[in-house]
Amino acid sequence: MGRDVSESCIDSLLTEMVSTYCNRFYANKPELAARRTEAIGYQVGHQLSERYTMERPCFSDHLEAIKFICKDFWFELFKKQIDNLKTNHRGTFVLQDNRFRWLTRMSIDQSPENGTSEELSIMADNKTMQSMHLYFPCGIIRGALSNLGIPCAVSADISNLPACSFVIRIKA
Amino acid sequence: SYISDPRQTIYIIEKGNAVLWGSEISPSPPVPTATGNNAHMMYVFNRNGVCLLYREWNRPLHTLNPQQDHKLMFGLLFSLKSLTAKMDPTNAEKGNLGIPQLPGQGCSFHSFRTNTYKLSFMETPSGIKFILVTNPRTGDLRETLKYIYNLYVEYVAKNPLYTPGTLIRCELFNTALDQYVRSIA
Repeated sequence: MGRDVSESCIDSLLTEMVSTYCNRFYANKPELAARRTEAIGYQVGHQLSERYTMERPCFSDHLEAIKFICKDFWFELFKKQIDNLKTNHRGTFVLQDNRFRWLTRMSIDQSPENGTSEELSIMADNKTMQSMHLYFPCGIIRGALSNLGIPCAVSADISNLPACSFVIRIKA
Repeated sequence: SYISDPRQTIYIIEKGNAVLWGSEISPSPPVPTATGNNAHMMYVFNRNGVCLLYREWNRPLHTLNPQQDHKLMFGLLFSLKSLTAKMDPTNAEKGNLGIPQLPGQGCSFHSFRTNTYKLSFMETPSGIKFILVTNPRTGDLRETLKYIYNLYVEYVAKNPLYTPGTLIRCELFNTALDQYVRSIA
């Protein structure tokens, strides 16, 4: 018997997690807040990958493991697969999700009312806040791959909301 | 293109906005268009009277500055709700004024109409008030307001970048709202 969790609960919890680390625990220290949320993601990804690879044989190479992340793993987490996978065949992979679930409701008002320097700094803050929400999923990917024996670094690119690209660099 | 109104007022529809041209009888209601926005403006207040959103699509007449306008609107709603609850001839209880109830519960007004516009109102259990001002021929907008409340929940309440109680500045909400309001008959 499966156990369900309300998606709204997860969304709200993640929002609050990022907000708490950024605005309370590590206010004015965004690098530490980022590292902390990424570390939490790492633990989550580690455990989830254990769970979702229970029935499977080992992966033959890195590409197979990445494809698992793109298809089965992403489907378990987000009810959809990664839309586009690119690689340079030298250890770098770009996973593009055209409608990343945790970003679909995120938006700010792009039009500054009078273009004052205060407005522009608010816009810059907003951009930073948006990127803060991506450290957790980056950590999930890093933790999952690490559990499959693939140490790597993961970063995210949100130049085109709500599409989101995750860049995986496998450590040699 | 132009639409000729039997009350001898001619409107020229240009780029989706109705532009009044040569009116003999005043005030006469604007003819609703299918192309332009069918609503004049919208207000969203929270339970403390803070105006979270004011969106204007078609409002040629401004009598007050924005702060006065918002305060007047909030005060009006408060008085109207109080009046309609107190004047309810069917309710034996004293009534619990000021406590938000589910839309449809209790006794609350939901719209009023003049010869030039209709004002529709909905309050949610969380105290968020939605006010939509449209042309007077609009029907019952309670379902419309519920839909707009859903848009608010999805794109504002669940927006990680939005702080509750502050001005709503969410592009996704604005876009979805504009698009939806265009489709109101």
